[in-house]
Amino acid sequence: MAAAVVDGGMKPLQNAMRMAKVAIQLDAGNRHKVYNVMLPNEEVLQQSNGEMVAVEVEKMLKLAEQCLERANDLFPKLNHLFVSPSVSPQEPGMDSKLNSRRGHCRVLSEGGGEVSPFLPPEVFQRFQAMESLDTRKELTPIEEASRLNQKLKANYEARLARLPPAQARIQKTSLTLSFQRQMMENLIIAKARQDAPDWCCVCAVRRRFAASGCISEEEQEQRVLYTNVLEYEQDHDWPKLWKARLKKYPDDVTLVSGLVSCLLSCPDHPVMKLLKRHQYKVYNRLYPIVSKSLPASPAQLIKPSHSTQSLSIPDSRRSASESSVGHSLSSNASLNITTSNEHRAKEAELDVDGHHTPNRENSFEDLEQFLSQLDWKPSHGDHDMAFEPSQLVDQESLVQDLEMRALKDHLKGIVKDIHIAIDQLLSLCLLSFECLNTASSKDLCLASLEEAFFTPVWSPLLALFRKVHRQRELSFESSMRLYQEASPGDVGVAPGLYPQDPAVLHGSYPYESAVQELRLLCGDCCPQKKLDCIVRTLRVICACAEDYGCLHEAGSKTAAIGADDLLPILSYVALRCELPQLVSECAALEEFIHEGYLIGEEGYCLTSMQSALQYVESLHTGGFLQHNSKFT
Amino acid sequence: MASGGGAGGSNKTYSFKVVLLGEGCVGKTSLVLRYCENKFNDKHITTLQASFLTKKLNITGKRVNLAIWDTAGQERFHALGPIYYRDSNGAILVYDITDEDSFQKVKNWVKELRKMLGNEICLCIVGNKIDLEKERHVSVEEAEGYAESVGAKHYHTSAKLNKGIEELFLDLCKRMMETAQAEERAKGNGVSQSTSSRRGVQIVDDEPQAATVAGGCCSSG
Repeated sequence: MAAAVVDGGMKPLQNAMRMAKVAIQLDAGNRHKVYNVMLPNEEVLQQSNGEMVAVEVEKMLKLAEQCLERANDLFPKLNHLFVSPSVSPQEPGMDSKLNSRRGHCRVLSEGGGEVSPFLPPEVFQRFQAMESLDTRKELTPIEEASRLNQKLKANYEARLARLPPAQARIQKTSLTLSFQRQMMENLIIAKARQDAPDWCCVCAVRRRFAASGCISEEEQEQRVLYTNVLEYEQDHDWPKLWKARLKKYPDDVTLVSGLVSCLLSCPDHPVMKLLKRHQYKVYNRLYPIVSKSLPASPAQLIKPSHSTQSLSIPDSRRSASESSVGHSLSSNASLNITTSNEHRAKEAELDVDGHHTPNRENSFEDLEQFLSQLDWKPSHGDHDMAFEPSQLVDQESLVQDLEMRALKDHLKGIVKDIHIAIDQLLSLCLLSFECLNTASSKDLCLASLEEAFFTPVWSPLLALFRKVHRQRELSFESSMRLYQEASPGDVGVAPGLYPQDPAVLHGSYPYESAVQELRLLCGDCCPQKKLDCIVRTLRVICACAEDYGCLHEAGSKTAAIGADDLLPILSYVALRCELPQLVSECAALEEFIHEGYLIGEEGYCLTSMQSALQYVESLHTGGFLQHNSKFT
Repeated sequence: MASGGGAGGSNKTYSFKVVLLGEGCVGKTSLVLRYCENKFNDKHITTLQASFLTKKLNITGKRVNLAIWDTAGQERFHALGPIYYRDSNGAILVYDITDEDSFQKVKNWVKELRKMLGNEICLCIVGNKIDLEKERHVSVEEAEGYAESVGAKHYHTSAKLNKGIEELFLDLCKRMMETAQAEERAKGNGVSQSTSSRRGVQIVDDEPQAATVAGGCCSSG
């Protein structure tokens, strides 16, 4: 569907009609997404407004209107899909169930073969756009012109109808011509208005950035953004009102949060537009990787001989070829990441190739050899190659190795992009509202921006982290299974810190409240909230430990617990939590924790959590744990 | 109102991270509790009890925020150490003067810290439990000699008798401030704090810079 929109060779109206038809058919079958893809028609409409025959314009408008209406109806229903909670999509043993469920909401533009829990970027962007449709009040110059032209058209039609039959033929031509000219002019003026920034604003921008001598690309971009902000403020009163209010009561914290939430609810404000743009960019980079596959179930991965199942990025044709050929590899399976037209992925691949780092030259040679073998082997069908199993084991591990490296590089790039995006958003926000440039307001601003930014992208982002930390999660899972019935003492918690008598616990287990608290972490979609959740978990642990301590030695006040006691308890709590994705969540949190929190309580709690998780991962190999032979 | 990169550094607050290392029974928890549990103000005890403590100090007119990170001393957690002590400004390595083995452990940690953090970290080697002087198994000469050889300072404390603890922390803070100031000078005065990397001291302006540039002609309502 999406491809059809891009296809410029088609006549817009025909194209739109055809798409609408398909949409209506699919609508009956409950496949709503297609409407999101329909929306590009709006743009097609605007572009061709000037040159199209009036009748066609009308038809198009009507069509677009219907589509929009339908899409708006569906939007609330779909919203929950879009901001789907990051419930572990790769829960062991759940794969088949989930797959069948997802089959219903498969994404049409994927060609039908792939099943993905994530929306394709085009659809993601439509959602972003639709969010703003509801609240849009202001029209861009082009939109305004388009409205004006509709009025003109109505006038023109009215005048045509009133023409006396005798003069009709001569006058009609001149009327039509002047009508067309006027429409054209309107559009040209609008275009000029849209492109050229207000001179007054240009002056203000120059003044603002006067200090900097030479202009870097970054500064240039910032100037453009700031111009947008000034233009926006020319057309809107609310920023001025808020600024005045904040000037009057600079210490009012509620005013600050009021302003921030007001800003976040204005999709037209340049800050929010920038946010959407960055969000889309990040999503676009995540999608090609996270949509391709769900990692194979853990049981398959633990098997000593790796099959193609375990390739983290299988070719889309894999499922078809697998049934016929026992061990098959499609020629582009190993380089699947690079086949996406993703710029950064190419960079990552360059790295894999070893052009940059000399110590990777060997692996490059191996890869070259491997790829050339692929070329020489006779092919089964299209791209599929058959290999002797023994040959494959080495090469597969090599491919996996390379893939993992490429994935890591890709992840690193995305994390960096997110940091840059958030920095840019905050600075534009502070540029727009200087009154927010105080330590506490800035924190609030940053927290709100981050929440808005991360909420829709966290689950695909986490999916990538989970791919990268797959092995760690598997270790965690193994330990989890081994220690299912373990008592706190089995993981080294001091006997005085948990009740020996189960009756005291009334049917629950020690530290259950902390376990419950930690489980909430996966429900949040914003790093700061997740971090708060970890802090709360540790506090609950301390409170529990104190209670249990009192049970043992009434009277003698036991010393407050230190890290010697905390870490074993936290490990126990993490085990009982039974959520391997915690490993990836924490790895992601570490990337996004604010510098200011790093040495504070939040930083300490995250570090302790990370340590506990690492300890749990090592449990199933008996790594550090020597005193306990029961489980090894 | 703090000026951007002016010379007036008096209203800056230093934030230091200090890790606490030592074997299980050497009394490191009691040591920090003693230090932070001061009778005039006991709200320094956070909800994380003795594992993470903060203390605010005022040293020669400069404000200092201390964050004291306790670490697990058990052998099986040893491999997890590095993620605790990265970015530390100081380390307090505690041993029990009646336990030779705990002193050997301190030596291991010193090696690891120096390897990871170089010479920028201020090390304190602390012989605790001097109330049990009669049972001493680590000689004063050996301990002090070793400390000097690795560029660390040696202290004797008793958490039980509340001896030597205040001095230990005050001394450590002064040394960390000196290190931080030297680092600042090396960087040059004009450099803003935004360029400081994650590693090292964080210097936070108490009050944020207020942007002085007025709004443009369009935005003034």
